[in-house]
Amino acid sequence: MEPVISIKDVLVKQGEIFSLSIENLELHFRRIYTLMGSNGAGKSTLLRTMALLTLPERGTVRLADAGAGNLAQQRQKVTLVEQSPYLLKGSVSDNLAFGLKLRGIRRKEQKKRIISALALVGLEGFEPRKANELSGGEVQRVALARALVLEPKVLLLDEPTSSIDSKSLQAFEEMLSQLPENGVTIVLATHDRFMAERLGGEMLQIENGRILDRSHRLSEYNSTKENQVWPKLLNAQGL
Amino acid sequence: MGSLDDSLMTAVELLFNLDREVWLTIWTSLYTSSCAIVFAALIGIPIGLWLGISRFRGRRLTITLLNTLMAMPTVVIGLVLFGLFSRQGPFGLLGLLFTPWAMIAGQTVLATPIVANYVLAAVSGSDQRIMDTVLTLGATRFQASVQLLKEIRFGVMAAVIAGFGRVIAEVGVAMMLGGNIRGSTRTMTTAIALETSKGEFAFGLSLGIVLLSVALIVNLFLNLLQQR
Repeated sequence: MEPVISIKDVLVKQGEIFSLSIENLELHFRRIYTLMGSNGAGKSTLLRTMALLTLPERGTVRLADAGAGNLAQQRQKVTLVEQSPYLLKGSVSDNLAFGLKLRGIRRKEQKKRIISALALVGLEGFEPRKANELSGGEVQRVALARALVLEPKVLLLDEPTSSIDSKSLQAFEEMLSQLPENGVTIVLATHDRFMAERLGGEMLQIENGRILDRSHRLSEYNSTKENQVWPKLLNAQGL
Repeated sequence: MGSLDDSLMTAVELLFNLDREVWLTIWTSLYTSSCAIVFAALIGIPIGLWLGISRFRGRRLTITLLNTLMAMPTVVIGLVLFGLFSRQGPFGLLGLLFTPWAMIAGQTVLATPIVANYVLAAVSGSDQRIMDTVLTLGATRFQASVQLLKEIRFGVMAAVIAGFGRVIAEVGVAMMLGGNIRGSTRTMTTAIALETSKGEFAFGLSLGIVLLSVALIVNLFLNLLQQR
């Protein structure tokens, strides 16, 4: 099966000292990958490279089904949620609608998808709230909803739980663990080894801009038909 | 010239009696400055945005040149455009010299570097995550640039207002390219210079009051925007 992301012989330089160097990395559909590594190991750079925000000096980053479209069209296959995400000025709803408008989704469907995505991250009724009045944890969850609403093939998450309280953490991890069954590949950078172990999937150890180790682990979260994520989204949309 | 008090009274009377000449002069100033700032915004905003988000060889030099243009004396702009628009100049056939359009052209040249510099400062000072966020949501580089302008809209408005404040208060361009023709190219600033030299202190003062009021309103608005 064709990998969802294929990275070959990539070199990304950042300043004089740091460089990310990946010889060969293939990530497959419907899986969870966790990037582990110390500060400055290259996790965020690798995520930005996968999101096609940082273009390598050498080598190729290929996304499945991206065709020969322009960079913006290719980027629409992946969505990156950064560690301290930026919310656009306006309401929460404006933020979630932004990417949908770019994809030509009609207003009626936009509204349904926005309601469902906010429900997924536990922020029901937040549509009219002003983005600049949210707490750090709410910002992070709105950013996640803004990514989920686009139903991306690949979801890239950089330390997604850094501002999320422990009460919401389990629900968040359960929701994440169900995304692969709904056709989403997750690549998540984290320092939290326990979280990586709970989520399962493949763990990639990265240090000094190089992948040192890969290991598999089963998720601790049960994924039953009842608690799958996309069916919830689709049901909410009446599809 | 009478006492300052008498002149001030006459100036207020001229304004409130809707003296046609006073109002025509005010209108010419507002009209030419407004047209100039629209053109300056159309040219200056994209330049400032481009310099703010692009990285290319010679960028620093371009920014230095832009800063130099900001400090260019108005009479120099007037002189250069006078040469271009005069009968022997390359654009002489257009017959623009001593018309409001020549003034608009000169004021556009004056305001464009100001608008571009303010926009550049707003882009440079903006949150670096904006472009990445918008790009990762699937925008093209053009769409992302438009969104960036929306995010820093108060900075952009401040740029336009600063440019407007500069052109409405300038004398050199209006005098050299407009010629201070009564009822056609006479602006508040050129009229003040002329009338005061003729001894019509009250007339000059009435225009001075309006000019100060416009400058005050513009600056209040600018202040308000900078606080947001």
